[in-house]
Amino acid sequence: MLRVLKVIAQIGLLSLFVWLGGRLASLTGLPLPGNVVGLILLYLALSTGLVKLELIQEGADFLLRHLVFFFIPAAVDLMNWGGVFYQYGFRLALAIAGSTLLTFGVAGHVSQWLRRRNHPCVS
Amino acid sequence: MMGFGISLTLGAYFLAKALYMKFRHPLLNVVLLGATLVAVALLLLKIPYQAYLPARSLMMSLLGPATVGLAVPLYRNRQLLSRHAPAILAGVGLGTLTSVVSVAWLAAFVALPREVVLSLLPKSVTIPFALEIVRLHGGSQALASAFVVATGTLGSVFGGALLTRVGVQDPIARGLAMGTGSHGQGTAMAFLEGQEQGTVAGLAMTLAGITTTLLAPLLIRLLVKA
Repeated sequence: MLRVLKVIAQIGLLSLFVWLGGRLASLTGLPLPGNVVGLILLYLALSTGLVKLELIQEGADFLLRHLVFFFIPAAVDLMNWGGVFYQYGFRLALAIAGSTLLTFGVAGHVSQWLRRRNHPCVS
Repeated sequence: MMGFGISLTLGAYFLAKALYMKFRHPLLNVVLLGATLVAVALLLLKIPYQAYLPARSLMMSLLGPATVGLAVPLYRNRQLLSRHAPAILAGVGLGTLTSVVSVAWLAAFVALPREVVLSLLPKSVTIPFALEIVRLHGGSQALASAFVVATGTLGSVFGGALLTRVGVQDPIARGLAMGTGSHGQGTAMAFLEGQEQGTVAGLAMTLAGITTTLLAPLLIRLLVKA
């Protein structure tokens, strides 16, 4: 029971960072979502020791372990979008497959090249 | 109805997850399978989609804190990150740029409508980032999540073989490509190759999400016709 309360309180603290991120984005007028600004703020807070890992890690680990669950409600809306796949299925497959192939190739080769240049003895 | 919507989604999640754990096939995607189960249940019980919306928004309100929580693995692995900083940052940066630019060009080439193109742009990043990008800049959240899952499935089924084929052998580079190109699903595959690959993939996934979110306003202006 105590653990459940702890996880809930830690999720509350994480939500505070979402709110802070949103406030900061709207104050600066940057077109960025609160969750991404909040992520950066939390990383900075952890790095500077302002927030200790123990204060949030159980809540974060719980949410991340079940991250996939929170995607399901967003995808249920697909039942209203069947027509798009019927109409554009082949073109969508082409765009997604082509771009994914290129992304893997570029990301893999760029980092492999830099790794070999910086650590010539490895691999 | 709120309680019913949440219970239904929870049931679908655990069922889809159990099926995935049993067969471990990348095509048994928990998001798509779970969403299909919920949609079929709503249709069979003749519940209109609108009645599901309050439950949906309550569950999705936890996506914000979950995304912020990604700072935790990033922080835990900060030493790995700084040790391979040039390879990770350049790989994620150029990989992300390739993903967004190439999908925008390909989509324009095959003449897809604007709303579909906008939903395609964040296809390589994990869903909470994709949903926010679409919410801020236009497109459909449902389409965006479907495209994210399609990209993840494609990458997790063919990504490893593709990297071997084009000569990427370095474990850090392989993990990085899987996380940058196919977010969480790619990360899961990278963990099957090894701990190091998986950890780098997880870092790459979060960094690619941040990079895409930061670049989105500029790239949309440059690449997508109004």
